[in-house]
Amino acid sequence: MLCERCKIREANIQYTEVINGIKTEHHFCAQCAKEMDFGPYTAIFDSEFPLGKLLSGLLGVDEEHKEQKTHQVICPTCRTTYEEFIKNSRFGCLDCYGVFDLLISENIKQLQGSDTHKGKHPRYHSGQESRSFSLDDLSEEKEEAEDGAGGSIDVKEQLRILDARLHEAIAREEYEAAARYRDKIRELKEGIEKC
Amino acid sequence: MLKWFEQADQVRPGVISSRVRLVRNWNQYVFPSRLPQKESMEMIHRLELGLKDLGTLDGKTYEYLYLGDLSELDRKAMQERRVFNSTVASKKTPTGLILSEDEGTGIVLNGTDHIRLQVLSPGLHLDELWKQCDQIDDFINSRFAYAYDNKYGYLTSFPTNVGTGMRVSVMLHLPTLSLGKKFNGLVAEMGRFGASVRGVYGEGSENYGSLYEVSNQKTLGLTEKEIIDLVNRVAQQLLTQENQVRRLALEKHRLEYEDEAYKSYGVLKYARRMSAKDAMIFLSRIMSGISDRILKMEKDCPVYPLMLGIQPANLQKISQRPLGKEDLDEARAAYIRTALPNLQGM
Ligand SMILES: [Zn+2]
Ligand SMILES: [Zn+2]
Repeated sequence: MLCERCKIREANIQYTEVINGIKTEHHFCAQCAKEMDFGPYTAIFDSEFPLGKLLSGLLGVDEEHKEQKTHQVICPTCRTTYEEFIKNSRFGCLDCYGVFDLLISENIKQLQGSDTHKGKHPRYHSGQESRSFSLDDLSEEKEEAEDGAGGSIDVKEQLRILDARLHEAIAREEYEAAARYRDKIRELKEGIEKC
Repeated sequence: MLKWFEQADQVRPGVISSRVRLVRNWNQYVFPSRLPQKESMEMIHRLELGLKDLGTLDGKTYEYLYLGDLSELDRKAMQERRVFNSTVASKKTPTGLILSEDEGTGIVLNGTDHIRLQVLSPGLHLDELWKQCDQIDDFINSRFAYAYDNKYGYLTSFPTNVGTGMRVSVMLHLPTLSLGKKFNGLVAEMGRFGASVRGVYGEGSENYGSLYEVSNQKTLGLTEKEIIDLVNRVAQQLLTQENQVRRLALEKHRLEYEDEAYKSYGVLKYARRMSAKDAMIFLSRIMSGISDRILKMEKDCPVYPLMLGIQPANLQKISQRPLGKEDLDEARAAYIRTALPNLQGM
């Protein structure tokens, strides 16, 4: 089927729009979908639940992107892969945001019209029920890890720390550093898989 | 104890209810879709334990439940009463629920996110509801640290909730406005402002009962106050327009309106069988008739609770027996006959 907007390229994104009760099926090519105003996609917001497929259609548009660097990305904490994320348009844990941030920040901006939170902040940073979790703690852990004999810290812990670093780097918009952390995470993962 | 929707005091005509919902996650666990069964149980248990004294905050009495312990019928009935959505109602994995006696305050634990807090009330009271939500949110947060990011705000399972994690909605009765040709355009315009308007019991002309819900589309990049103001503005706008067209229609076609209201009352009061569709149509008409002061009842008659009562699961609960499809129509007619007060002077 041809894209209904440009009528030139093959349509590979399909979505159902419900406006005032009238359901309309739409077919667009990736390029047009990218260029379009987000307006028609407001159907996503209509339910409390995003329709996974709608979003995956949107997120999946960038074929190049996908092939180049996404198939290796996996969240070290909850093991959600980028593919799974795209499929369900759902994060598996808080660390997913850091892990996938570079890949999805544009999409979130497109979806929400913004990528920066303006509202309330948590009044308490550590509940009675949970130990405090700050980047300072992580730095200490990291140093311990480096001081200790090689390999004494378990890989899972290393991954957790690296992931936090990645998170931190992204928050500071240090994308080169973020990319380095991501590569390290990947190396470690591959190491685990070979074992 | 009366449920929140039965306490309809001084409700403005056309406004059914308001709701504020917040989604939060505890930073100690991965999100529900990735959380193994055992940890899910453990987390729900810890959350319920940590929030045992929630009642000291607002003076309400809370029940602590596991959805798995409830019958399918109870779950369905709660879904119809909007305690939680259909995804939670049909969820097979461990899910907890902290629910106030009036069902006005509810916290779903380990639903789509760890914590889904909602506060409901009759009428248009978003500021007040937000204040309550904000307080409960702090109360929870003082015990459980949230998954929060300086850039993205409160982190949620779905990117459509990230940021404030807030969904604000108002339910309106728009029987006249929604009939007009301009309604679709109006709804589209509201969409451009960032508010979605959708039928509560169906889409388009199938939305029997003419109840519509206005809610915010975006959760990120706006403050909570801005979200509330937006939904408030859109709700007010729709109400004003409904009132305008209704006044005009009443001036021009008074007799038709009266006839419609009385006939609907007559059917509801005397029919022996009633489909859900017919019941919604007639209840919507007497709702208009009452607010336009055409129908005067012997005592107060909030119609929205009747609309909830005729939904299949609630009807079965009220009738206290399992009902087949045929029985449902009979039970529905009987329920409405009994619940509907007499007209004044009849
Ligand atoms: Zn195209
Ligand atoms: Zn994750």
